[in-house]
Amino acid sequence: MTTAPIRPPLVRRSDRFIAGVCSGLAAHLGWPVRNVRVGMALATLAGGAGIVFYAWLWIMVPTADESARRQARRPTSPIAPAVSQAPVQAAVRSDVRGWAPGRVPAAGPGMPTSVMPGAGTYPPGPEDPAYAAPGDFAGTTAAAARPPWFQFREMRYGKEILLGAGLLLVAGILIAQILGVDVPLGTLIPAAAVLGGASIAWIQLDETRRAGLVDKTKADQAGGWARLAAGLALVVAGVLVMVSGSGSWEQTWLALLASVAVLGGVVLVLLPWALKFWRDLEAERAGRIRETERAEIAAHLHDSVLQTLALIQRRASNEHDVVRLARAQERELRGWLFADPEKDAGQLSDRIKAVAAEVEDLLGNAVEVVSVGDTAVTEGHEALIQASREAMLNASRHGGGTVSVYLEVSGGRAEIFIKDRGPGFELQHVPEDRLGVRESIIGRMNRHGGTATITSTTDGTEVRLGYPAAAQAEKPSQSTEGKA
Amino acid sequence: MNTTQGAATGPVRPATPVRVVIVDDHAIFRSGLKADLDPSIHVVGEAATVEQAIAVIARERPEVVLLDVHLPGGLGGGGREVIAGSASLLSSTRFLALSVSDAAEDVVAVIRAGARGYVTKTISGKEITDAVYRVAGGDAVFSPRLAGFVLDAFGTAPADIADDELDRLSARELEVMRLIARGYSYKEVAKELFISIKTVETHVSAVLRKLQLSSRHELTKWAAERRLL
Repeated sequence: MTTAPIRPPLVRRSDRFIAGVCSGLAAHLGWPVRNVRVGMALATLAGGAGIVFYAWLWIMVPTADESARRQARRPTSPIAPAVSQAPVQAAVRSDVRGWAPGRVPAAGPGMPTSVMPGAGTYPPGPEDPAYAAPGDFAGTTAAAARPPWFQFREMRYGKEILLGAGLLLVAGILIAQILGVDVPLGTLIPAAAVLGGASIAWIQLDETRRAGLVDKTKADQAGGWARLAAGLALVVAGVLVMVSGSGSWEQTWLALLASVAVLGGVVLVLLPWALKFWRDLEAERAGRIRETERAEIAAHLHDSVLQTLALIQRRASNEHDVVRLARAQERELRGWLFADPEKDAGQLSDRIKAVAAEVEDLLGNAVEVVSVGDTAVTEGHEALIQASREAMLNASRHGGGTVSVYLEVSGGRAEIFIKDRGPGFELQHVPEDRLGVRESIIGRMNRHGGTATITSTTDGTEVRLGYPAAAQAEKPSQSTEGKA
Repeated sequence: MNTTQGAATGPVRPATPVRVVIVDDHAIFRSGLKADLDPSIHVVGEAATVEQAIAVIARERPEVVLLDVHLPGGLGGGGREVIAGSASLLSSTRFLALSVSDAAEDVVAVIRAGARGYVTKTISGKEITDAVYRVAGGDAVFSPRLAGFVLDAFGTAPADIADDELDRLSARELEVMRLIARGYSYKEVAKELFISIKTVETHVSAVLRKLQLSSRHELTKWAAERRLL
């Protein structure tokens, strides 16, 4: 936090006393949290200004989570460039918020004054007072020239400008009143309350719609309801005050009672429709989600299974091809249906399965892999994988039937067994120039500190490959046996 | 448990034909399987849903039920539910699970419900016939994949004496499971370990019992976590 030239965005942080406003503000300004808190407390003594400021920030500043979500949802904002002060600052900020830097326009002439006139060509850097490193009190001047609320406002767009204008209006009215101008407060305050309440409720509605009913979490909903209730309460209170201004309280209460009764009646009548509407909406939404899923599945099946089925029909006379196509398709479909996205990719079992699939595709005989335990692939394992590939190729080529592969990883030691049911062979009868078994399997394993054993009988051949846990991979040993 | 005399080639076939019910929701697969089975196996009934299966099994009282793991109907429990619904017949009727899913969760669930074995649907006609005879004889049928599941679930270290007997495999059972996982037939396992086929069958049945009765909560957790196998 001491050298970063870019201010962190103003967000409410999780290390909080009340709402995380002070710590967020401190992080944004680069001040010690304690100073901010003390300042806030002092300001509270000045006619409650601190409380108001705090509450305002609380309402307007998103939490870190919300901010991240919002940015994910709206990568660019058309309003943002219009309210940015200076291009450089906007550019820097845009980097922070993940906008494309090229989207930042030059500041318009009517924009609020910039601290650095002509900053458009000025390279942003720590020497720029506007970017004084947080925590470095050379930035005091910048902070003084640009009070936090100013920065805050320019970061959060149209809504905040409106609110600021409203507050300025209120301040103006108050000042006017203090100066002796007769302001009809009795009418203005309720009207303002109604307006404010309505806009709070409408903003809520707008946001619900914007969220697209997609990722509505419970917390969001709770906050939404609270805001809606607050808006309603404000409106009702405003209307009440306005109405009661013209009559006595008894009359107002009677009127209120009557209104509530009428409202209740209307709700009672409309409720079934509203419920039906809601259910229809839900059903339609569910239907849309199902439709999307179905389309995705259909697309996948079309690209994979249907193509394969077409191929199988054309090759129906060739049993070998049909089996090979079917197995390849089965593998692909299984992977798509059941693959666990959270599982680490590139584990040893995945590699062995991939090699088995390759051999299966190449030679057409099924290669069944059973694996127990797993480990991350190290450099030494590459030799094991290559050797087992060679063994699978041999088993498939000479065994002529299903090849069984068993991988067991236990305590870091990996063992692979490759078994076929071919006629078998004797190692000493393999010609010297045939390098498959001797070099690619036994030699390779020994060079990398592993072991290779080949057992061949008339019932089939089994190749056993062993690779020790990474720590003790230095003692090569060789043992080959050939049973008749 | 078994009345075979340790014959050299696969399970011994009794004099009378084995009566079998096939439970699978795909008619094509049922007819294909029927055609693949040895003529000495009599298919006395077929069923496509959980309810049909329970009714047919109760009526026919077959020796072996070839049971698909995934079935429509009932409460959605599939093959597991069929076994639960036929619990009173478990002493005379044996269940052999068939599956395309290969998901550990499904397979372990149906075995723990009481199935005597599990084979994949790509199995050949001869192999499925052998499996039916083996199950009819009271033995367990373990495919390499099921052996792999067992090794993964119980761990590859032999039992300590302190452990609950049901929670670990003995050294010998581990050896047998490893060989089956490596693709060995029972006969080859017997030859490799210098024991009789009968002894191999006894070990496999013991493993099946442990798989069914072990209260290890890890077993269920393991199966649930391991989605693709």
